[in-house]
Amino acid sequence: MKGVSQVVATLSRVPGVVAAMVVGASDGLIIEASEVVGLSPGATDMRKPTAALAAYLYSKTTRASDAARLGTPAFMRLEAEKGHLCVVGASDVVLVTIVTPGANLGRVRIDMMNAARENA
Amino acid sequence: MTNPTVAEEWVAAPLKRLMEDARLLSGVLLYPSGRAVGQFGFSNAADVMSICALTSAINASARELGRQLDGKPFYEMHHAGAERQVFMARASAGAQEFLFVGVFDRESSLGVVAIYFAEFQKALEKLLPEKQKPAVGPTGDFEGELNRSLDALFGPIGKR
Repeated sequence: MKGVSQVVATLSRVPGVVAAMVVGASDGLIIEASEVVGLSPGATDMRKPTAALAAYLYSKTTRASDAARLGTPAFMRLEAEKGHLCVVGASDVVLVTIVTPGANLGRVRIDMMNAARENA
Repeated sequence: MTNPTVAEEWVAAPLKRLMEDARLLSGVLLYPSGRAVGQFGFSNAADVMSICALTSAINASARELGRQLDGKPFYEMHHAGAERQVFMARASAGAQEFLFVGVFDRESSLGVVAIYFAEFQKALEKLLPEKQKPAVGPTGDFEGELNRSLDALFGPIGKR
């Protein structure tokens, strides 16, 4: 099993990933996070609220998926105006990445799911 | 979910927003002296009275414990029970300090509560009335202060 630091380091090297985080699934607190690419000095660090809300959203998505009898969600991607938020569950943690609009989402998806599988 | 009842009207809106956004089951905002400022989720004044007294005491103990262990007072505390969790924190608006204690379950999370509490604190700073009485320490009349604030929240004894 990879350590959380290694997971974060691997995901943050994927082209287009602005920030990668390993977050507690039940409490939404950051366990390990990469630096934010391109964060200007004095700008608000968005990692903490993103981590908490992404973990919360993933737990609700899991319930929705369960209600629809689809089983556990494999990969969650939220497409927004200025990029994507990707979340994958891995046992007691969720992997969260903030991704640029032009990123190779297929690569992000595969790398996140591989990391989750190795952490499960 | 019922609206908060408040002893000071200006805290009603931020308290309601915190309750809804953080999906809290119940919560009490109080002064460090133990006087209640607002509450939601409780229908019984005795429960709020107990919570105010306990929160005030816990804050005093934790503040001192923080000083001894870390050189500075602790700001937040969290206790995770089997079904429900308690979040307790200090908030300040101007020179006035407040304590907040909130209860949540699996419908929320510590991270979510902490985020919305930070927003709540900013709202208190922004909405603090200019003519707010200057911060005062405990008068020593703990029971009297507490009862007056409970009267404001639940009505006078006999009419509750």
